[in-house]
Amino acid sequence: MSAVEQALPQFSSKRLEEIKTLIARYPHSRSALLPVLHMAQEDFEYLSMDVQKLVAKTLGLHLMAVREVVTFYTMFREKPCGTYLLEVCTNAGCMLNGADELVRHLCDTLEIKVGGTTPDGLFTVTEVECAGACAGAPVVQINNAYHEKVDAAHMDVFITEARGQGGKK
Amino acid sequence: MTALYINDEEVTVTPGTSILEACRENGAEVPYFCYHPELSVAANCRMCLVEIEGWNKPAASCCTPVAEGMKVRTQTEALEKDREMMMEYLLIHHPLDCPVCDQGGACKLQDYAVEHGASHGRYAEMKRAVVDHDLGPFVSTCMTRCIHCTRCVRFADEVAGTGDMGVLDRGDHMRIDGIVEDCLSSELSGNLSDICPVGALLDKPSHDVSRPWEVTRHKSTCTQCPQGCDITIESRGDEVIRIRPEKDGMEPWICDRGRYVYDAFRSEQRILEPKVRESGGLVAASWDDAIGRAVELMKGKRVGIVFSPDWSVEGLTSIRLLNDAVFEGAKVAFDLHRRDMRSFAFEEGLAMTTQQIEDSGQVVILGSDLRQRLPVLMQRLRKRINAGKPVSRIGAMNYRTNTEPTKDSLIRPRDWSAVIAFAMQQVSGLGKTAAGMDAWMAGVEGRHEAGKLLADALMDDSCALLVGEEIRSHEDAAALIYGLDLLMRACGHAEAGKDGRNLISEGMNPQLLSSVFGDVRTSAGELFDAASNGELDVLLLIGSDPQGDGLFSVQAKQAMDKVPLVQVGAISGQISEYAEVQLPAAAYSEVEGSFVNMEGRIRVAENPLSSLGAERPLWKVMMRLIQDMGGDIPAVNLDELRAHVIRFAPQMEHAWRSSDELMITAARNNTATHASSTKAPSRSLDLISRYSMYREGAWVRASDLLSEAGCLHALDDVLVHPNTLAGAEGERVVRTSSGEQSVHVGSREDVVPGVLFVAKRGVAGDLSSESEVDFVGGAA
Repeated sequence: MSAVEQALPQFSSKRLEEIKTLIARYPHSRSALLPVLHMAQEDFEYLSMDVQKLVAKTLGLHLMAVREVVTFYTMFREKPCGTYLLEVCTNAGCMLNGADELVRHLCDTLEIKVGGTTPDGLFTVTEVECAGACAGAPVVQINNAYHEKVDAAHMDVFITEARGQGGKK
Repeated sequence: MTALYINDEEVTVTPGTSILEACRENGAEVPYFCYHPELSVAANCRMCLVEIEGWNKPAASCCTPVAEGMKVRTQTEALEKDREMMMEYLLIHHPLDCPVCDQGGACKLQDYAVEHGASHGRYAEMKRAVVDHDLGPFVSTCMTRCIHCTRCVRFADEVAGTGDMGVLDRGDHMRIDGIVEDCLSSELSGNLSDICPVGALLDKPSHDVSRPWEVTRHKSTCTQCPQGCDITIESRGDEVIRIRPEKDGMEPWICDRGRYVYDAFRSEQRILEPKVRESGGLVAASWDDAIGRAVELMKGKRVGIVFSPDWSVEGLTSIRLLNDAVFEGAKVAFDLHRRDMRSFAFEEGLAMTTQQIEDSGQVVILGSDLRQRLPVLMQRLRKRINAGKPVSRIGAMNYRTNTEPTKDSLIRPRDWSAVIAFAMQQVSGLGKTAAGMDAWMAGVEGRHEAGKLLADALMDDSCALLVGEEIRSHEDAAALIYGLDLLMRACGHAEAGKDGRNLISEGMNPQLLSSVFGDVRTSAGELFDAASNGELDVLLLIGSDPQGDGLFSVQAKQAMDKVPLVQVGAISGQISEYAEVQLPAAAYSEVEGSFVNMEGRIRVAENPLSSLGAERPLWKVMMRLIQDMGGDIPAVNLDELRAHVIRFAPQMEHAWRSSDELMITAARNNTATHASSTKAPSRSLDLISRYSMYREGAWVRASDLLSEAGCLHALDDVLVHPNTLAGAEGERVVRTSSGEQSVHVGSREDVVPGVLFVAKRGVAGDLSSESEVDFVGGAA
């Protein structure tokens, strides 16, 4: 039995329906790879090797074809991240408005390195390229929400509140 | 045709050709890394820039098609500047470690750096380093040297079909990677080190061993499978360093089996000096003593000769000469995989060339694990499938092909006649028939709907049937093959009396064997039985290993217990424990001789490797035996011997005089008709012995490299469909005609229910002689 056939995580039947509709839109199933990867990341939180195998099998692709895309785009995660993913923009606009200090402050407060996750699994801090919201620099994207013109105090409040909720978003 | 100017010279090329190809065809030098004639165009190295009049910037010639009247320049000052900049860019992260790199001296990057690069680098920043991977026993990596041409990625996708190489990450972090620390699963993986234009993917077995300028190249023919690929053996002294595909050969690739078998050339299994058995062990002896002992054993005795089909044409003919000169009436056999005892019932070898097969409208693979059996032919079929041309398959297992066949049908071996009869019924319903077809059809009771697939394919304008081991080793093989011929004739793909099917042979030289041994040969099983029954006094074994290979290991063992064995060969194999005398014969790499492949294509090897020990070409050993047995020596040199070859096979006449591509066809016994057997199967499970390219053949078993690969790619020894097992995986007792034995059984979904697959090794080795078995305790 090849590695691909071993027990894999499964898409829900509703998801599979969606994927089927999606594939039908394109001449090749390969074209549906990006949206399916987004769905998989939504369902499984991150794209583990098993999830990548599942996507490959669902779309009839070689695992390597999926891995190439997953590693190319930084928004696809191959490792689990915390409940709160703090993505700090460090491009020119934000940098001029103190993004670097913000990153340092977050890392010091949470006692992690950039890209790391706190031991309680609550926070992950990463640096990202331009978030496209330079007017609100510095910008931190927390999960799917933009937080603009943030400073260290703002983040401290957020962290305290998040800790208070004990991991519930 | 399109006319264009390359450096002011007018040339004409086929429309759609790329500028790079047009330049290559017409001798204009254009540097390139990522272009490869056998792979798709990626255009990512940007080294092949040329100037086109009227274009405002240089064009990548590999991806720009030619146009009428186009004026191309390949050598200008501006281009030199561009190329210098490209080289600077490609070399930015390159470690420049040529003195310790295996590729040094045969490296495009090195050559172009000298030709087009700047004399010194300007890059003073940090260079990156890339982690190396373990890609298995054949490919070693030094990924820091990689220039990201993606030839290997395209090879894995398009040629190997495994897709197990890829480009990960991007920008400065971009790297080529295999599937997470897994070994490459392709049987063609050795080609990766050949196509890598730099020193990133290297040949692991020859890593840090030699330099390209130290080796001598010997053109030869690979005899590890009937494909008979053209190879170049690279040696230093008498040591083989590498085997590669011949540059101008028929095929651009060779398989790992043919490439890495060379470590067996120097293995302990080699017979490099004459040996005789004394007080239980084989001890070295002089040629005179060993020949004396052999003569003593064989003179005036009833002798059975078993030989391997992989010797050179000259070697094989000398066996026949030995037979005629001193053993008249001896039993001679070479086929270890044929159960059907009907004499001369069928001849092996292809009726079409591999190119014709690739080009035909339909291809049907009948009962063959073609990827293992003929990896290079399978690669051609894969190319077909990728181009959207159909390849269908009927067989007992969904053998892995790395590209899905167009249509697929699973059947048990006992259903073959019903499949063929159903196909006959279908085509005769459409008004197609051939002499004898109705009678054949009437002789078969059942009908199997997989025949529809066969009939559909046959109705195409052109169709190639590739007949494999499941049919060749069938007890009813002659009838099945005859039935397939009838089908091909009925549908107009073959003339009356001609072969239609392509029967994949067991070894090399099938066409020659049918000419030279057509009138004296018998079945190997019959010969071993005769020895066991006291009808023979001694066995002469010339280069095959009936104990390790083939269907008759049990019978061979019984025969060896009864009669003494004289062994002549290059490699000893498992059978050597019975040998009374061993006479060393030169390996295929060490002889001046000719080889014929399954298509009938003749190749002559002229500059062999030097001998490692006391071995002599087989024909000289045979002549010496004739002399000492008291016969008249029929040939004292190769020319005289070749005159004898022509006597048996007149088609060989021009083989040594003309430089043209020569093909010969097999001698056929076309008058015979074979009705399907009506014998009902007596046991519930059909048994198929599974072929593994890493285990079959004495040469391969003597190779440590291939054995290692065999372990990595191995399936369970004994396999059945899970439903057949009814859940009881593990130790099961199997009942055969010769008794009961306990074996470990594994299960796979892609095996047809009702069939037991057996790999020829370990405990299963003896099972492989059977064709039907039962599970004790019943099967579901």
